[in-house]
Amino acid sequence: MTQLIDYLLGGLGSGMIIALMALALVLTWRATRVVNFAQVGQAMFTTFVALTIQTLTGSWLVALVAAIIAGALLGVIVQYLVLRPVRRMDTSGAIIATFGVLIALQAAAGMIWGGDSQAYPQPFGNTALTVFGREWPVSAYDLVVVGFGVVLVVGLTLLFTRTDLGLAMRATAFNPEVARLSGVRVSRTLTIGWALAGIVGAVAGVLVAPTSAISPNSFDILLVFAFTAAVIGGLDSLVGAVSVGIFTGLVLSVVSGYSDSSNAPVVALFLLALNLALKPEGIFGHSKARAV
Amino acid sequence: MLSISGLSVTYGPVHALTDVSLEVPRGEVTAVIGANGAGKSTLMRTLAGLVKPVAGTATLDGNSILGHKPEDVVRMGVALVPEGRSTVPELTVDENLRLGGMWRSKFERAGLNAEFYDMFPALAQRRNSRADTLSGGERQQLAIGRALMCDPQCLLLDEPSLGLAPLIVTQILELVNRLAVEVNIAVLLVEQNAVTALRVAHTGVVLNLGQVVMSGSAADIASHEELRHAYLGY
Repeated sequence: MTQLIDYLLGGLGSGMIIALMALALVLTWRATRVVNFAQVGQAMFTTFVALTIQTLTGSWLVALVAAIIAGALLGVIVQYLVLRPVRRMDTSGAIIATFGVLIALQAAAGMIWGGDSQAYPQPFGNTALTVFGREWPVSAYDLVVVGFGVVLVVGLTLLFTRTDLGLAMRATAFNPEVARLSGVRVSRTLTIGWALAGIVGAVAGVLVAPTSAISPNSFDILLVFAFTAAVIGGLDSLVGAVSVGIFTGLVLSVVSGYSDSSNAPVVALFLLALNLALKPEGIFGHSKARAV
Repeated sequence: MLSISGLSVTYGPVHALTDVSLEVPRGEVTAVIGANGAGKSTLMRTLAGLVKPVAGTATLDGNSILGHKPEDVVRMGVALVPEGRSTVPELTVDENLRLGGMWRSKFERAGLNAEFYDMFPALAQRRNSRADTLSGGERQQLAIGRALMCDPQCLLLDEPSLGLAPLIVTQILELVNRLAVEVNIAVLLVEQNAVTALRVAHTGVVLNLGQVVMSGSAADIASHEELRHAYLGY
């Protein structure tokens, strides 16, 4: 039992990372009905940018800010240069185009920073915390990760529910025509959605990098986990992405603990298949059919 | 006044509108009637900027409204309530109204918002309910309210009576008439329900296969028996 609790706690940090990446996928999906498979590529690229800044300045925080700015810019660039022209055809063309962007970003990162894994500095110490005279499988850094996740989720929720921009984004997602007829500048709103997703992905990238390492392909497996969480959460739901993302992290940690970490992707795909068979619209999703 | 002259729209080889001209004066309701496929909705969508015409002009008080994006046409004072109770059902009543007036200043918005709730006390009580919990008539009121939050000079209403009970239809059309007369808006009303539309309208325009076949006072058109048989089917 104690072992199970330890495994669950150990999955908290990685669960939050999965949750954030799933959140980024949901943000682009809500804005443009496109699953952006380049999201992890964008996060990888901005994490390399952060690593470069970190090496130059020595400041973890400055590097994070650089990643956030680069993430927003890259989101806008990908949406503007790739998605807009392709979207005129259909959405499946756009999804394939995001794969192209992923490959291009990985190749570009390889050319700029090399193909080898590089260590990302650990800002807050990765040793297990000792509370009540017992060592817990949670480090100070895990708490920082969870803290960042909570701040982002609360911030986005406030943005969506309290501000005009958030209202415009929700109206655009639900009914773009009525939004346009009400005066919402829809294409600008969509671009802002991609920028927000880029920011969330960039934060996730910088947060996950110290626990593994960073190379052009190092986030590929994160895409599998985040995609699984986003789809099971319903693709449309911020709450769904975050809660299923954390849940996925916990499950994978337990699986890795009791068996071997190489089994984690298989279990993730099994969860995805189970979800698609039993409840294809996702746990928190609204069904496609809507009363007119 | 909204003036439309020589307006033509094609969808590929299909001529949806051919050389349509009509005028919509302020303070009046102008009803465009005609059977399914006559081009009524195309006319509305073209005026709102959703469809590009191949020829013709449309001006509001002398300023051209064609060739602009829908989000700019709204800012010029032309608001469309499209067919099918065009609210965003996932948003609350209040959010739907906020959406309509989003590009206006906070001050203007507050005034318009209060006016709307004065006009519809039943909706004021449900301002925090989601729009999909409203009845059909209430949702149509809300859709019109969303358009009014833009403080339009010209209101385009596409089939507001569709799917509503007769009593509710009368209420909605009376509201439309009041808006034209009391707020001095130019109202262009598109209806398949010709009898009811001609009862509230001042002027009627009959559209058939994309062309204007007759225009005149609403009373004249309603009493024109041959026309009714030929184009309106009653």
